[in-house]
Amino acid sequence: MNKIIQTSRGLAILRACTLPFILLVVWQLWAMRQPASSPAPLPLQVVLTAFELVSKGGLVQALVQSLGRVVTGFFIALALGVVIGILMGSSRAVRESLDPIIESFRPIAPMAILPIAILWFGTGTSSALAIVSYAAFFPVLVNTVHGVSRIDRKLVLAAQTMGVPRLTVLTRVILPGALPSVLLGSRLAMGVAWTAIIAAELAVGAKSGGGGSGGIGQMMFVFYAYSINLNAIVVCMVVVGLVALLIDRIFRAAEIRLLPWRN
Amino acid sequence: MTEQTQSPCKLHLQGVSKSFIAPRTGEKTLAVTDVNLDIDSGEFICIVGPSGCGKSTILNMVAGLDTPSTGTIEKDGAPVTGPGADRGVMFQDYALMPWQTVEQNVGFGLRFGTPGKPFTPEQREERIRHFIKLVRLNGAEKKYPHQLSGGMRQRVALARLLANGPDILLMDEPLGALDAQTRLILQVELLQIWGQTAPREQRKTAIFITHDIEEAVFLADRVVVMSSHPGRIRAVIPIELPRDRSEHTRAEPNFGRHVDQIWSLIRDEAYRAIGGSEEVAAPV
Repeated sequence: MNKIIQTSRGLAILRACTLPFILLVVWQLWAMRQPASSPAPLPLQVVLTAFELVSKGGLVQALVQSLGRVVTGFFIALALGVVIGILMGSSRAVRESLDPIIESFRPIAPMAILPIAILWFGTGTSSALAIVSYAAFFPVLVNTVHGVSRIDRKLVLAAQTMGVPRLTVLTRVILPGALPSVLLGSRLAMGVAWTAIIAAELAVGAKSGGGGSGGIGQMMFVFYAYSINLNAIVVCMVVVGLVALLIDRIFRAAEIRLLPWRN
Repeated sequence: MTEQTQSPCKLHLQGVSKSFIAPRTGEKTLAVTDVNLDIDSGEFICIVGPSGCGKSTILNMVAGLDTPSTGTIEKDGAPVTGPGADRGVMFQDYALMPWQTVEQNVGFGLRFGTPGKPFTPEQREERIRHFIKLVRLNGAEKKYPHQLSGGMRQRVALARLLANGPDILLMDEPLGALDAQTRLILQVELLQIWGQTAPREQRKTAIFITHDIEEAVFLADRVVVMSSHPGRIRAVIPIELPRDRSEHTRAEPNFGRHVDQIWSLIRDEAYRAIGGSEEVAAPV
């Protein structure tokens, strides 16, 4: 039994790695055929640059800074999104009052609020936080509303007939009932937050002339605008992708752990 | 009438009606009208009637989940104003919390329960164990509802209803979703758990909704027959079958007589509901 699980997991990892490996080989072969003067990034060069950036280029610090912003912004969005989402999901009056304004802000891309964010909050962390929380807020909110509104009404009635006070129904029925949707919303939110922070740092970096804000996005901007190091940019891209993958897997694992009744 | 305070009358419904207003059209529908019914303590009442006769509406009003448009509902002489742990409800589709295990579901209300009578954690554990055993779900304590069969879920709902210790059991077609065999078994079990072998004062008062006439006759002390458009009480039939009832009860002459009597009360309406006429469809 255990062995079967292990082999199937091994197979899954093998499958997941095959395509990236083939792409790497193709990339390397293609790059080796380019003239020496070409700025095309080489896989081997990229690996070397990666070691260099980690050991003395401040890649880890930049990553930690970006992640710190994403996590903080995510929790701001989570708190706001869950609270407003529960209110909207359980009260028609609140939903009808808030829905139009939320639906008209939702399509405005996080980057579109960047000019205002920079003017109000400057080019530092608070600006980045504003954009990240803005981006992460909508997935949390929309999914929480959805989760709350599709809770079986009978469950609420059942709780009431068992003498559960009104406010306790919230914590004992509404919250656990909406949890699957909240977690799904959180996973999506974390994804867009990570996307937004890189873009925000890139743009804030441009505005502040490569100084100031820090983070991995700004690091990329510096490699792009000042030292023109394609290999380093590719390293940053790979790191961003890997972190996104890791975040997604952590959330999926949390979903399985927190929702044992779903499997 | 000095005996009035001594009366075992548990539930008193007088002149109860309920109308709903459709949210879009504003059209008013009378769901039930002119319901007068006194239910004694320890009595098992079944309500039968065609769909749409307002059976569930009456149950919901007694539970306090709906308020009557006119009339009064009194329990132990005091008007019913809202839901409470003294009137437990077992819903048609069980309404178990899907994120809770069997034992968590059974213990769901125990933290709140009857005001002024909180259980200690040990008492809660004890009660959960007791009622899980009573409905024969031992071994399934850690399972989630989706891992259980329909019959097992129904037992969890029953255990949860009883564990919470209500005075009045309100059951809305609890066996409706089960296959015929499981139903027959659970009907007998339900009567055992309700306490048909116990003296009357130890039994709970029960209101049980069904559209199965045989089920109603098998379970009830009295069967309330309803008709629809608008929903109202057509007749209240006392069932002359001894307790304790078992599989053999169905073979008694009175059983068939009561089933026939109730069917003759609602057959016209049942035929009308399916669009046929009684004369054409009548058997040879």
